[in-house]
Amino acid sequence: MIVDDSMTMRKIIKQILTAEGFDRFIEAEDGNDALNKLRLNDDVDLILTDWNMPQMDGMTFLKAVKSTDAFKNIPVAMITTESAKEEIIEALKVGAKDYIVKPFKPDIVRDKVKKILGA
Amino acid sequence: MNVDVINPFIHSTVNFFETMVSISPRRGKPYIAKDPSRAMTDVSGVIGITGDVDGWVAIRLNRETALEITARMTGEEKKYIDSMVRDAIAEAVNIVAGSAKSEFSNKGQRFTIAIPTVVVGDDHSLSQARGTVYMIIPFESDIGSFSVDVCLADTKAQNRG
Repeated sequence: MIVDDSMTMRKIIKQILTAEGFDRFIEAEDGNDALNKLRLNDDVDLILTDWNMPQMDGMTFLKAVKSTDAFKNIPVAMITTESAKEEIIEALKVGAKDYIVKPFKPDIVRDKVKKILGA
Repeated sequence: MNVDVINPFIHSTVNFFETMVSISPRRGKPYIAKDPSRAMTDVSGVIGITGDVDGWVAIRLNRETALEITARMTGEEKKYIDSMVRDAIAEAVNIVAGSAKSEFSNKGQRFTIAIPTVVVGDDHSLSQARGTVYMIIPFESDIGSFSVDVCLADTKAQNRG
């Protein structure tokens, strides 16, 4: 699942992961949209979520995922420009598995996703 | 205003264009816009910032450069300004401001960034609020010229640089 209010960023991430053989994506525009789509899909392997989004931001969404029994075991990686140490530490404490700092090169996304999924 | 306040925005702009647009922009000499209404472009991505640093940051460029940036980011050729182009420019200024935020944070200055907006229209300019300093950082590149405009309140934190 790719959660980002930017269709450009969703497209870029999909292109990177499609080239690696991933072929099923669920896209969501913010945390609220993502939670609704998680309720309809019980086979999500990984969530990549932006931080700065309207309606529900990435940190609020992360907390919602990690406090919901049905979702809490899904690994979450934050994709963010927020590379300040305190914010990254907070996300990891809440339960994020990893983080990707924007701007990024394709190999960063590829390597982190593979590492999280053990692929 | 201490002009050093624009340095994080210069660093984040260069990093963004090198990493996600695959171009190396060449920075010109930054200057204070004494009459912002004369700084006209076709496309502006604007994002508000609030906190120790207060105001807005914008990427301003012409249509052709906006189309080329979008094509290079997404791999999709664009002939006119559509929702994807607007979104790409919004994401560009979001990344520029967000990356700069991290550099400010490392110096103990904090701010929050808003959701970006994009203005499209021939020869428009951006307005300057009273009590702010409007600085223009010009860039040249292989896909055209653009500028990063930084309009900030003249606060104590910014004077600290």
